[in-house]
This record gives sequence, structure tokens and C-alpha cells, in this order.
Amino acid sequence: MVLQNAPTSQTTPASLPPSVFTLPQTAQLEALYTIIRDKDTSRGDFLFYSDRIIRLLVEEGLNHLPVVPKTVETPTGAIYEGVGFEGKICGVSILRAGEAMESGLREVCRSVRIGKILIQRDEETAQAKLFYSKLPPDIAQRYVLLLDPMLATGGSAMKAVEVIMEHGVPEERIIFINLISSPEGLKTFCGKYPALRVITGWIDQGLNEKAYIIPGLGDFGERRFEPSLFVCDDASDRRLRYCL
Amino acid sequence: MVCIIHFTVEIIVLTQHDRYGEDGLRICDAFVNNQGVIHRWFRQWEARQIVQALGSIPSVVILSQVGITSVQIWKKVMTDVQDSFYRRHTPEQVLLAHANRIDFDHPDAIDMPLFAACLADLKSCKQTNIPIYSFSEHQRLEETQYLYGAAVIITEGILALHDPHLRALYDLKIFVQCDSDLMLARRIRRDVKERGRTVDGVLDQYLRYVKPSYDNFVLPTARHADIIVPGSDNSMATASRMSTPILPPPEPWQNLIVIPETPQLKGILTKLRDRTTSRADFIFFTDRLATFLVEKAMEHLPHKLRSVVTPIDVEYTGQELDGHLCGVSILRSGGPLEKGLRRVVHNMPIGSLLIQSEAKTGEPLLLHLALPVCIRERHRAEGTWVFLLDAQIGTAASAFMAIRILLDHGVRQDHIIFVTFLVAREGGIVVLRKAFPDVKIVCSAVDNYLTERWLECIDVEGEGVDSETAGRKVWAVEPGMGHIGDRYYL
Repeated sequence: MVLQNAPTSQTTPASLPPSVFTLPQTAQLEALYTIIRDKDTSRGDFLFYSDRIIRLLVEEGLNHLPVVPKTVETPTGAIYEGVGFEGKICGVSILRAGEAMESGLREVCRSVRIGKILIQRDEETAQAKLFYSKLPPDIAQRYVLLLDPMLATGGSAMKAVEVIMEHGVPEERIIFINLISSPEGLKTFCGKYPALRVITGWIDQGLNEKAYIIPGLGDFGERRFEPSLFVCDDASDRRLRYCL
Repeated sequence: MVCIIHFTVEIIVLTQHDRYGEDGLRICDAFVNNQGVIHRWFRQWEARQIVQALGSIPSVVILSQVGITSVQIWKKVMTDVQDSFYRRHTPEQVLLAHANRIDFDHPDAIDMPLFAACLADLKSCKQTNIPIYSFSEHQRLEETQYLYGAAVIITEGILALHDPHLRALYDLKIFVQCDSDLMLARRIRRDVKERGRTVDGVLDQYLRYVKPSYDNFVLPTARHADIIVPGSDNSMATASRMSTPILPPPEPWQNLIVIPETPQLKGILTKLRDRTTSRADFIFFTDRLATFLVEKAMEHLPHKLRSVVTPIDVEYTGQELDGHLCGVSILRSGGPLEKGLRRVVHNMPIGSLLIQSEAKTGEPLLLHLALPVCIRERHRAEGTWVFLLDAQIGTAASAFMAIRILLDHGVRQDHIIFVTFLVAREGGIVVLRKAFPDVKIVCSAVDNYLTERWLECIDVEGEGVDSETAGRKVWAVEPGMGHIGDRYYL
């Protein structure tokens, strides 16, 4: 009655890289995506339902962190053979859309440290270029949850990983969390960083000629934050606003 | 009033716990007593006498055809003076009523089918919505009064014995006689004092309507009564118990859904089980687990296809939730799950049931209920999905009662999803499974033991334990998390 409702839109490439993990594709999850894909969804609903997906993604991402056996005594005096969390973590969000995932992250990981990276496309070279980064000083000792809601071409995500690895974090200690990815982007990204785990909520059909994800959900940051900031499509103008 | 006293002694056996057997089916209806009494003051007085004498019975409803409605829940008597079941009037009839030209003592003035329907609902332990009649407007009001949970129902009204459908519902019928002179004297006093009428008007109404009505409709119904007061024969009708066979449970029980144990889940459970975990950590991890549990529970709701257009103008066929959803939390321990529910469902109506164990017997008692409107109205309850929240299922006494209450309101068994942190494998879950095989239970872990303990050394059961009764035996889930409500709130 309930679970037979198989998802209809998930594209699962036969050759999904082994480092890619998706959420269980339930009807419930698809309903969440249907809400945030709908262009008529209000900002309030977009916030609420994208937060739900982000929490699920973070919960799934944390499952890739190590745990150690731990025995505790319960209030009833019984002994329980459990596990303890091992290893410090931090989040790194790619501005500005990645910031939208921070509240969801903090709901699951209380008072977690969050670094920021701003990457924009350089209009002259058409390459992703680092404009700004502020990372926790001890990031080399931490597991990093890299946050960016959409993986389209993978350009900015790969640049971000490059920056984080320059700060001494090994590839296998980075977990990239996104809501929607394109098969092309996944292929490129995992080809470059095969040991880096990617947690994605949904793999869409592909990219159109403008490198937008199809069917996608539009500009995540724009729908999440104030749209007037993004009215101008001129990248240099956008860069100016970010740097301010 | 010998008969009244005798009568109370007889019905005291029908306490609330006796209403449902281990199979979750009703073993007896609510007890319906009727009084076709002549004088209102006397009816009221007598009804109150009965209520006072009943004392320990959790809930008594006095349902009035044309009199008072009082509801007693745990010795607190709420009284609304409302004449309930007069028919709705046309504008012309309202004018006539204000001019004392309507015969309110004629059987046609009373909405007998509606009265019978409300009474039948209450008798079969379901909720009902009683109409309210305004004497100042001479009209039935749009609002209704919600009633649920009567163990004993007393109806009263001069025409209460007139309608055969009503008579068929009563377990015991009492007709109380009174001297005519006394009735008229009290009527004049009441109407002049309380309703601002003139003596002439009262007498006019009495001769025109009241007396003929009494002679034609009221007095003849005395022959239907089991007891006439003052009477000679105090024979009693008693409610009989029906036994229902317990069906063997289907194997295996797929409706007990334990969410998959991931490293994070096990880590969260370790934090929550650890007695040295700080309160701040306990609250944080409880909220986190509750959110995740509710997300998992949501997967068991039905969905249907829905097409949308994305901001880049591509059509997308996805799904959407198909059904109306509300939450009901069993207080106090269901509370720690509410934040999770609020994080997952936007604008969720959440009702509550306060169920506490009775100190002497350990039986659950319903102290208070505040259900969302979508459950209070039966036609909506039938289509509603309910997330029932409680921290753990140990003896399952309160879970059992809460499910029963939802079913009484017309919620479908397969529309109830019980969301809980812990279930004791050998505990009351076995009984729940037998009684309500279609209810789904979503939990984060199943513990192996349910052990008997002393309350003073250990707290137990999310199911409401009275702190004044320290030193008695209670049941604890092992290894468990301790008393989740206390650790979350105190």
C-alpha cells in the first residue's frame, strides 16, 4: 500500500562510482523533492522541506565516521555494549548556497565548527577560482563535511576540495554532502577524488546546455535566501556582493 | 432514596478498566440509566445524588433531553445548564417561542433521532458531539459540546421514556413521580425567578401545554420504567459481559518496525542509555533521535503522484503525501518526541492524552484528553492518520488505552503509527500485537527485558508513574534509558 510506490525519477547510472551513496529512495523522500522542485513552492516551505532533506543527508554522512566500542551503565543499573563517537568533525560550506545547509548540520551536530569557502567562475579563464576561505585552524585533524547543495559540473566542488586538501586534510577524511547531483558531475568529481565519499540525496537526469541540472530545482541559494541579491545575472556583480 | 443507593452499589463494578478485554475489544458498553422524572429540580437533585454516590468512578455523564448536562471527570463536576435536544427552529417558530406559543412539552419539540444517535455513540464508548440549545435565543446553536469517555450515562427528561429507540438503549429505566401541586409551585418559582417570566404567563403555559403533555405523553410512559420512585419493585438491569475469543497472532509481526541500526544510531542510543550523560546532551540527542524516528515513520504513509514544473521550466512527476495527518502525544513521556514531529511536519496539530497509573492497582487512568478536531469529529477521524507518541512501550498499559481511545473515535487501526524510542521484547507489546495487529509501531531499539523494580530506587516506564507512591513495584525496560520523561524534563 505504501512502500510499493517506487520512485519514478531517480536516475541510477549502472556505473555509479563506489564512493557515491544515496539516501534510501522512498516515496516519502521523493515527495520532499517534489515540493522543493516545484517553482510555486513558497520560501517558507522551501526552507522547511530542504532542511528535512539536509538533516537526512547529514545523518547519513555521519554514518561514514568511525565509532569505537563503548560500554555504559544505564540508569536501571544494566550494562549496555554501545559505541562512542570517534574523531572530531567540522563543516565547510561553499558560499553562498552551501550556507543554507548549515542550520540543518547544526541540528544534527550541535555547535560544530564551520569553515567557509567562496569560489566563483573566473570570466577570463572560465575556471573556478578561489576568492575567499576561512577554515578552522586545526582542520587537518578533523573530518570535513563539505556542503554544497547542487553538484552540476563539479567545478567549484573540486576547487573546494583542492583548497581543503592544501590545508592538510587527506582525501578520505572529506565527505561531500549535496541534495542533487548530475551523473556527469559525479563522474568527473569521483574520477578526480576516488577516495572521497559523496552523499547525495538524488541523482537527476543530467545537465542542459547552460549546465543547469535537469529537472533540478533552480538556484538553491536564490530560493533559500533573498532573491533580490541575485537578480543581476552578471557574475562580476555577484562577486562584488559576495566580497562585501 | 433507597433505590438510588442500592442502584449505585450495583453499578460501581463498571469502572473504566473493565471496558476492554486483553484483546482490545469492548467487553461491555457504557452503562445507561434513564430517569423519566417529572420535576426538573428533583431530577437534577437526584442526578447529582447519584454522581456524588458514585465517587470513585472516573467518568459519569448526565445527558439531558431538556435539562442539565454535567460531566464528572475525577470528582470535578462541570455543569452546563443547557437544554440540549430541542429541534432547530424556523424564524417563525422562534417568534412563537418568544411569545410562549410553542409547546416545548410535546414529543415533537425534541429531536429524538439525534438524541438516540448521541446516546448510542456514548453507550458504545465512542465520542459524540451534543447540540447546545440557547433559551435566550430559542434556537439550537451552531456549536456543539464534545463528550467522550463516559462509563456511566444518566439521561434525564420528562419525555426520556417516550421514544422506543431511546428506551431500547437504556439499561435501567426509572420513573420518578411527584405531587402535581408541588410541581406547579416549583415551576412558578423557577420561571419567575430564573427566567423572568410572569405568573400569568407561566400558568397560561402550564394549562395550555404542560398539563396536557403530562397526561398524554409523560404519565403513560411510566409503564416502561423498571423502577417507579416512590416505587415498590427495585428490580435491576445489569450489563452483561461478552467474552470474545483471542485470535492467534499472524507470524511474523511486520508491523513492529525497528529502524536499521547504523553506527550513528548506536552512538546516539549509547549516549541516551548512559546514566552519566548530562541533561543538555540527553535533550539534544533525544531531539535528534526523535526527528530521525519521525522521518522513518513518515515512510509508512501513503503517497500519490504529483506533477510540478521546476524553476527552469521542466516538468517533473514526483509524489506527494496522500492523507491527513495529526499527532497525539501520551503525556508526559510522549513530549520528548514532539520536537522531532514538529521538525518534520509543518503546522502539525498535536493532541494529548494524560494517562497515569492508578497507585493501588497500577491500572492506567485517563485523566485528561485534548484531541485535535480532526479526531473529535468521527467523519474526519476515519480518514486521519495518527502518529501516537510515547517514549517507550514497557507494560504497554497506556499504549493500549491510547490506541483504544483513538479507535473509539473512529480512527482506523491501520491508520495509527505508534512512534517510540524503545520497546521491551517480552513486555506488553505481545498484548498489543494480539489486540491491534494492524497498528504500526516504529521504534529505534527493542530491549530484551522488562523487570519488576522498586520505584524509589529506580524510575521506569515512560508511562506515567505517580511520585507520591514511592516504594511500590513498577516495571522497567532493561537495559533501557531510565525514565525518559524525567531525564528530559526534570
